[in-house]
Amino acid sequence: MNKGKIVSIHSFRGGTGKSNTTANLAAQVAMAGKRVGVVDTDIQSPGIHVLFGLDETKMGKTMNDFLHGKATIREIGFSIGEHSSGGEGRAKLAGKNLWLFPSSIRGREISQILKEGIDFNLLNEGLQKTITEFDLDYLFIDTHPGLNEETLLSIATSDILIIILRPDNQDLQGTSVTVDIARSLDVPNLLLMVNKALPKYDFVELKREIEDKFNAPVTGILPLSFDLADNASNDLFSLRFPDHDWSKALRGVAKAVLAVE
Amino acid sequence: MKSDVLNQLQKTAIFKNVSDDILAEVAIKASTRKLAKDEVLIRKGEKGDSLFLIHDGWVKIVTVDSKGDELIINKCGPGETIGEMALLDGETRSATVIALTESEVLELKQDVFEEILKQRSDVPLAIIRSYSERLRFSTTYIEKAIDWSQKTAEGDYSFVEQIQPLVEGAGSNDDKAAQLLSAFFAMVRRVKEREDGLKQQLEKLTFEIDQARRKQEFDEITSTEFYANLKEQARALRQKRAQG
Repeated sequence: MNKGKIVSIHSFRGGTGKSNTTANLAAQVAMAGKRVGVVDTDIQSPGIHVLFGLDETKMGKTMNDFLHGKATIREIGFSIGEHSSGGEGRAKLAGKNLWLFPSSIRGREISQILKEGIDFNLLNEGLQKTITEFDLDYLFIDTHPGLNEETLLSIATSDILIIILRPDNQDLQGTSVTVDIARSLDVPNLLLMVNKALPKYDFVELKREIEDKFNAPVTGILPLSFDLADNASNDLFSLRFPDHDWSKALRGVAKAVLAVE
Repeated sequence: MKSDVLNQLQKTAIFKNVSDDILAEVAIKASTRKLAKDEVLIRKGEKGDSLFLIHDGWVKIVTVDSKGDELIINKCGPGETIGEMALLDGETRSATVIALTESEVLELKQDVFEEILKQRSDVPLAIIRSYSERLRFSTTYIEKAIDWSQKTAEGDYSFVEQIQPLVEGAGSNDDKAAQLLSAFFAMVRRVKEREDGLKQQLEKLTFEIDQARRKQEFDEITSTEFYANLKEQARALRQKRAQG
């Protein structure tokens, strides 16, 4: 039986554009005709649900309720394909098989998770059940920056780990540790993606140097873009501006994900 | 001298398909004008009602730039024609023409020309045919220019090498379509050169990883009981998945 793949998206520090990348990647993979789920666990950042045009007040039960047996996964999955209004880019997702599984967004619940913790097997069973119930090809997990316990759990259960980094010394240093951890946890597919690269750098050279340092493929170097910053969290940029350099490079990353056996 | 005029007329684009006996008649009706150095032959904005063939000497075609300075657009010498369109459309002159040297030009007036058109019904058809040929030639190259512009926009300059000889071999010197293409190719070459230059200026980013710190941070994370358990569970999970 060919089960769906768990794809974790991680970055060592915040501000790498991780949530934005996750949302756009998931959208591109769904556009390619795949059945896709997105678990949003990065609660501190603006949140992936905003990019998909989902109002926080409309969110009922969350992934944590499911993991703790307080809700069924069907109650949590929010169909983006059926609610794709409010954005020119998002509108293209109408009818696609894409679901968002919101994590907890309220402070009280966050402390609850930290207190109770989540067991690896519990998380893994939950994710597998999500894949089975929705017949997913890919389940994307937008993880917390850094390497806390919850993130380590996500990495450990991943079939594919995408590490997003900016081309600066601090991110590269941090990424080196994440790469080692991913190898230690036997993640079968490790992909790197560089975001917010200044156009003045030689991207070909940059790709070669990073691949050389980490011995892992760089699936895309996405340029720092004011257009993207301008778009903020209003819409899915790669769907709205498909001809933009950032969008083209992002589709390259999506292609690399789709190419994993 | 009138045979020289006939020769010149034969080379003029609008007369390309007009028979020699008619051109001989045209040549006879052309009048000679001598110009002193710096004498103005045509003034910009005047109504144009004649064509000039330069028989001897050189003239400059000038306009005035935004600062009021004289700007030379072109220089013309023996055998070249100025203002041929005026015979057909009678529009005002688009530039000023001044003699660079002492010169001799032949002038063919619009009314004289129109008289010939009335007498010989085959002449208008011949002129239409000439213009039709030019239009077709221009249109073809405009279409190509559109295609090449799109390629240039996408950063594909391969056509410059492939098509250059064809372009240089096409059309005569006074053909505006050929001039446009020549300028277009010069532009693309310059753009490509500048782009190649920029590529070389791209900065190389160098970075170093502190290996001691890398190991220390890795050890800190992996030395906990939580991690040891996780690693064990992850291994079991991957084995299970591999077995399907």
